[in-house]
Amino acid sequence: MKEFQETLYDSIAQCFRIDKMYFEHKTEHQHLMIFHNAFLGRVMTLDGIVQTTEKDEFIYHEMMAHVPILAHGHARRVLIIGGGDGAMLREVSRHRAIESIVMVEIDAEVIEMAKQHLPRHSAGAFTDPRLQLVISDGMEFVRGAESGQFDVIISDSTDPIGPGEVLFSEDFYGQCKRILAPGGVMATQNGVPFFQLDELIQTRERMGRHFADQSFYSAAVPTYYGGIMAFGWGSDDPGLRQVDEQTLQQRFREAGLETRYYTPQIHRASFALPAWVQDALDGYGQ
Amino acid sequence: MSGEAGYRPGPRPVRYGASPEERQFYESLVAEHGSPLLVVRRSRIEAQYRLLQRQLPGVALYYAIKALPHASVIETLAALGCHFDVASEGELELLRPLRISGRRTIHTHPVKKPEHIKAALRGGSTTFVVDNLEEMNKLLPFRHRIGVLLRVSFRGDSVAVDLSRKFGCAPEQVPELARAATAQGIHIRGLSFHVGSQSARPDSHVAAVEQCASLIAAVNADNDNPMSTLDIGGGFPVDYDGQGLDADRWFRPLREALQRLPEDLSVIAEPGRFLVAPAVTAIATVTGRARRGDCQWYYLDDGVYGSYSGQLFDHMRYPLQVFNDDPQRQPSVLAGPTCDSIDIIAEDVPMPELGEGDLVIGHMMGAYTAATSTRFNSLNAARIITID
Ligand SMILES: Cc1ncc(COP(=O)(O)O)c(C=O)c1O
Repeated sequence: MKEFQETLYDSIAQCFRIDKMYFEHKTEHQHLMIFHNAFLGRVMTLDGIVQTTEKDEFIYHEMMAHVPILAHGHARRVLIIGGGDGAMLREVSRHRAIESIVMVEIDAEVIEMAKQHLPRHSAGAFTDPRLQLVISDGMEFVRGAESGQFDVIISDSTDPIGPGEVLFSEDFYGQCKRILAPGGVMATQNGVPFFQLDELIQTRERMGRHFADQSFYSAAVPTYYGGIMAFGWGSDDPGLRQVDEQTLQQRFREAGLETRYYTPQIHRASFALPAWVQDALDGYGQ
Repeated sequence: MSGEAGYRPGPRPVRYGASPEERQFYESLVAEHGSPLLVVRRSRIEAQYRLLQRQLPGVALYYAIKALPHASVIETLAALGCHFDVASEGELELLRPLRISGRRTIHTHPVKKPEHIKAALRGGSTTFVVDNLEEMNKLLPFRHRIGVLLRVSFRGDSVAVDLSRKFGCAPEQVPELARAATAQGIHIRGLSFHVGSQSARPDSHVAAVEQCASLIAAVNADNDNPMSTLDIGGGFPVDYDGQGLDADRWFRPLREALQRLPEDLSVIAEPGRFLVAPAVTAIATVTGRARRGDCQWYYLDDGVYGSYSGQLFDHMRYPLQVFNDDPQRQPSVLAGPTCDSIDIIAEDVPMPELGEGDLVIGHMMGAYTAATSTRFNSLNAARIITID
């Protein structure tokens, strides 16, 4: 029996049975696999870490796309950093009112590989005429991008230890702030606080230097082991985090979305953080 | 690596003559692959691994890749269930193409650059060895992910290569370091030591195990996150002198010391030399001859800048073999191919007449040989081939 054992933590590891290997790419610098697991469907791993699975990806992608877009209310221009598997694009594309989607992925091969071996992730979204696909380093892209051109930025990065590290840098958050239009918002993948509390605090510090309102919202994604995962939130408009349920309901209806995890109630509730997380962010209880 | 006063390599064994099959075996390898060669025998690696498992039952073995960082060796050991001791990013990179998970590794270099820590974590290596507070501080940003082994220094007096001079905290420092780590939220998973390499007697290992056991007991008595691992390092000897090495006699005292440990303590070891030294044979060819004074000189295509580098860095003398069994022998020098006069494999060895093209076989040449060979004079390193 073949198994995949995650390598994130020294004293604990989750283990998945590999029922069929669809794709494996290994070089001296990285090891990427897409395999089938009886319960999870297709699973993609990179360097010993689960990236996404067919069974639970909807939670992650719905929450990272719909929360900032519906909070914003009239987002027209969206930037996705990373997300080569295409699922973030799929969720963003479902908003008909959005006029342009720029997606910046560092590795063209990842996209091709995902189209072929994880087709349900993008579900055809790469053909969306509103999409402008840029193959580039995310950091370089935001540095070179014109100011004030995006309403929503979604950073769908990998683990901060590894190639995605710059997407957790203060410079990155600063550049994102610069290229957001007034009233814009950015949302980021920020790991599982139960194991990565230091990374949460770091984002509070780094992102907090650039945005008047910095916070986190959360969702439990089962295969990101460790309880709730945190999404970073940065905006100059504190009101975006407080949009009332009725307004969200209305926007949700107007967008015509069908979701499996996201609801306006979940949206509101996801900004409530457990006391131990809030305390750590406030500088207590460390 | 530095030599230790208590150890001297014995006289170098030389074998004269070979069976026709043996001769044919070496000659056909050279005919096929050229010279110089290092021949890795998988079956011998497996035999050494099984022997060590039998001698140290219940001990998880982490092959010290540095001894011979070669893919076929790593692959062979991985298939047997062996784990790996990595000490650099490069060693970790050897594992990735072989699909060996970082979970099967520990990172044993006590001094690391921050980017090495990240690279190790990225490779899935989450257990780190440190021996002081400054190094521990480098691990702070990753404290929720990692486990730490504290390296303690115990200097053996019977080892060929001392490894406790450069690294390891004093045993007295352990409680204080453990307290400091706990205060910072770093978990000290256990203790590690490495008494030195090619340890002639097991006494140093035994003494270190016993001292570590009491240190662990003392620290665990007032710490609610107990240490759970003891890493007894490497250092297990092989037979370079041709005297015969009674493995059971060497390992029994260590095995008994380990049996006295509390049951919930996991024991791991980092053998390098023991697993690979007997598994590799060097084949060199006589490329030239000269008569100088009373001495016959033979120039080979491999030397101390190449596969025989272990004679300098590792202080070993490898058993040699030539095929000519003529009892008429004269004091000879076997010299390597570089232009440096230090490049001499053996001086004053009695040798029968050797001709150009004759082969010189080096036995027990798996550990710290190819690993430390240089490219001096732009000479190619001996080709490594794997058989069995
Ligand atoms: C930390 C560590 N572990 C293990 C080893 C392997 O030792 P040996 O080859 O003597 O078994 C070494 C050798 O240098 C070492 O430094």
